[in-house]
Amino acid sequence: MERQEILDTMNLVMTNKGREPITDETVATRDANFRSLDFSEVALRIETKLGRELTFDAAAMRNIDTVKDVLDFFEKATA
Amino acid sequence: MHTNGQNIIVSGGSRGLGLHLVSQLLKNGNKVATFARTRTPEMDALDKEYGDSFHFASVDAVDADKVNGFVAEVCDKFGGRLDSIVNNAAIGQDQLLMHTDLDTIQQIVNINIVGPTILIRAAIKRMMLQGGGNICNISSICGSRGYAGLSVYAGSKGYLDAMTRALAREVGEAGIFINCVAPGFFESEMSSVLRPEQLNTIKRRTPSGSLSNDENIFKVVDMVISGTTNMQGQVVFVDGGITS
Ligand SMILES: NC(=O)c1ccc[n+]([C@@H]2O[C@H](COP(=O)([O-])OP(=O)(O)OC[C@H]3O[C@@H](n4cnc5c(N)ncnc54)[C@H](OP(=O)(O)O)[C@@H]3O)[C@@H](O)[C@H]2O)c1
Repeated sequence: MERQEILDTMNLVMTNKGREPITDETVATRDANFRSLDFSEVALRIETKLGRELTFDAAAMRNIDTVKDVLDFFEKATA
Repeated sequence: MHTNGQNIIVSGGSRGLGLHLVSQLLKNGNKVATFARTRTPEMDALDKEYGDSFHFASVDAVDADKVNGFVAEVCDKFGGRLDSIVNNAAIGQDQLLMHTDLDTIQQIVNINIVGPTILIRAAIKRMMLQGGGNICNISSICGSRGYAGLSVYAGSKGYLDAMTRALAREVGEAGIFINCVAPGFFESEMSSVLRPEQLNTIKRRTPSGSLSNDENIFKVVDMVISGTTNMQGQVVFVDGGITS
């Protein structure tokens, strides 16, 4: 999946919850107020778009610090 | 005074906590048999050191025929009696349920629920006929407290706790004592997914200030299978007080 499409999905999750959209990849997810359950929601929205399940360990989620890490993660997971 | 002179089966004794339990029980003068899917060098070392007092076989805990065969083989080798079993073999989980595939869920249910049930069933048949015995199920604090990423594993440990209470009622009168030992997190391959920061957070939240270790857990297991406590159908926490 394209990076921009993943970012759009993240921002859909953010704005649905009344939060500011993310514009800077280098920002820490914590500072962007993007929480671990938001990560899961993005995964589920991507699953719906792709029509297949994405399964991964919680360890993979724990290693995510920045928005760039989220984008890298989903780019790889959907490749 | 340690448990000694017993014939004991410990499942999953090839490494981790199970290996420590097997080693200590052997050291204290028991005959011990264990199984796991893969033989480890430690099994060869125990074979060499303890000869006929030790028995290992490669058995998958979910293969009922193999487990029943193992129990029969051990009883023959050790002279007929089966005094105690310790249900220790299990696999962990580190995934949120929504991101866990169905095969993994099935595998956890099979190994952590069906596996111990098969072994307990085989053991209580022997214990009924010989007039008693001791069953110790290694559960977890996850069976009673919530931890994200461990839902299916937690359910499997809650099953062990609940089954223990039911079986205490079912077979207690036959002199079979069945209890659970529920450790908090301790260091092993299973908990290696936890990062040092997470382990430190757990330690900080633990009243005793330290994680349980293999030896802490062994001491309680040893007491539970001693057959001297009149403890029945209980879940004993060995967790430094984190669930208190
Ligand atoms: N580690 C913790 O923090 C923690 C906390 C609370 C409770 N516990 C409980 O403590 C017990 C021991 O855990 P551990 O950390 O020592 O685990 P471990 O190091 O992963 O060892 C598990 C043992 O079980 C065996 N096993 C796994 N699946 C099996 C199968 N299908 N058939 C036969 N044997 C199997 C393994 O051998 P093979 O893989 O070769 O089969 C190994 O010998 C478990 O019941 C666990 O749930 C652990």
